[in-house]
Amino acid sequence: MQAAARRILARVGLVDRRDEATAHVHPELTVCEECDAVYRRRRLSAGEVARCQRCGSVLGRGHLLAADGQLALAAGALVVFALGNVSDIVILDLHGVHSPVTLYESIWSTWLSGEHVVALLAGATAFAFPLVVILLRLYVLTPLVAGRRVRGLVPALRALRWVTRWSMVEVFMFGMLVAIVKIAGLASVIPGVGIFSFAVLTVLLAAIHSAGLHDLWHRVSELQA
Amino acid sequence: MSAAISDTRLSTAWSRGLLGCECCGLVSETASGVALCPRCGFALHARKPKSLQRTSAYLLAAVVLYMPANTLPIMATASVIAGHESHTILGGILELWQTGSRDLALIVFIASIAVPILKIVALALLVFTAQRRSRWRQAERASLYRLIETVGHWSMLDVFVVVLLVGMVRFGAFANVEPEAGLLAFGAVVVLTMLASSSFDPRLIWPDSTDHD
Repeated sequence: MQAAARRILARVGLVDRRDEATAHVHPELTVCEECDAVYRRRRLSAGEVARCQRCGSVLGRGHLLAADGQLALAAGALVVFALGNVSDIVILDLHGVHSPVTLYESIWSTWLSGEHVVALLAGATAFAFPLVVILLRLYVLTPLVAGRRVRGLVPALRALRWVTRWSMVEVFMFGMLVAIVKIAGLASVIPGVGIFSFAVLTVLLAAIHSAGLHDLWHRVSELQA
Repeated sequence: MSAAISDTRLSTAWSRGLLGCECCGLVSETASGVALCPRCGFALHARKPKSLQRTSAYLLAAVVLYMPANTLPIMATASVIAGHESHTILGGILELWQTGSRDLALIVFIASIAVPILKIVALALLVFTAQRRSRWRQAERASLYRLIETVGHWSMLDVFVVVLLVGMVRFGAFANVEPEAGLLAFGAVVVLTMLASSSFDPRLIWPDSTDHD
């Protein structure tokens, strides 16, 4: 009964810490995710990339910024994300009729036209998941920088791994450019604050993602040790 | 900033009785009988369970939906000047090309036509060779896997373009854009191929002499 409860807790990422003390773990080793080759860990300096000798996959990257710098990137990303979502992506001028367009309105129009699944897909990958990525980064990095223990870091990191994969701001950014070119024959297009915000957000998110998550896992477990 | 340097002799975790966690990277001993990673609680396994079956299933579904995604219209435009028109993916690319945006036409072609085909063909090849425990061009197959993992989500481009056009062109009877059924099929192909590539276990490219699978 107790074992079952612990298993359920572990499933959702709330691990009973006593397990770790009894299990035989090797924090001094690392394994290539793509071909299973074993390596000895070492700290990477900023910008350094370690690659697997057998399959060439990236084993780890040293982030150019320390944790506080990464926190600043995530905070900046949140501001730019908010700006991009409240301001107009473009303003269309059709014979004097001005029509401002936001991300929210585009998704809502798609929903109203009956393509609900497509609207949800776009809303998730261009809005919800990027927002969750930024919020989870802030949630994990803030206690790391402060050197404080907080609850829920393990579930946060697990969710972050999943949601990062499905966040597609950079593709959405490019979609805006293509849409503007396609519309240019019909109406004159004035680029709004939104499109520049999404451009900056694309760069910030790329910088945030550049180091992968394994380093954060190690920092978190060092913090909790 | 932690990562790795090579051991003197390359060996696999499985042959040493170790398991690397796919989620957080922690290395545990298999002999300790831990089924879940002690750090993050993710299920530990030497190979993703039923990886080839799951990849094939997602892939097959993607292939089936690939036809309607490319033949059905993804959006309809209505305007007083041009009347009612339906647009397929390929039609949209040709239109971009003819109106002089050849660079963008090329990018949309790569994202919407080339990348989905590449993903389907590449994953079929990876599943086929992994099933036969082939040692043919392992390093190249590993690069191919990384390539489709990296470019996979770019196919979503056309979905975003249509959603944005629907939001932009709302001038009622004068000019209007509506999404059509082909877009749903296309979005499904993108999601299914992404699920297929995340179900594939790249460790199957490197079959072990001790491989148990």
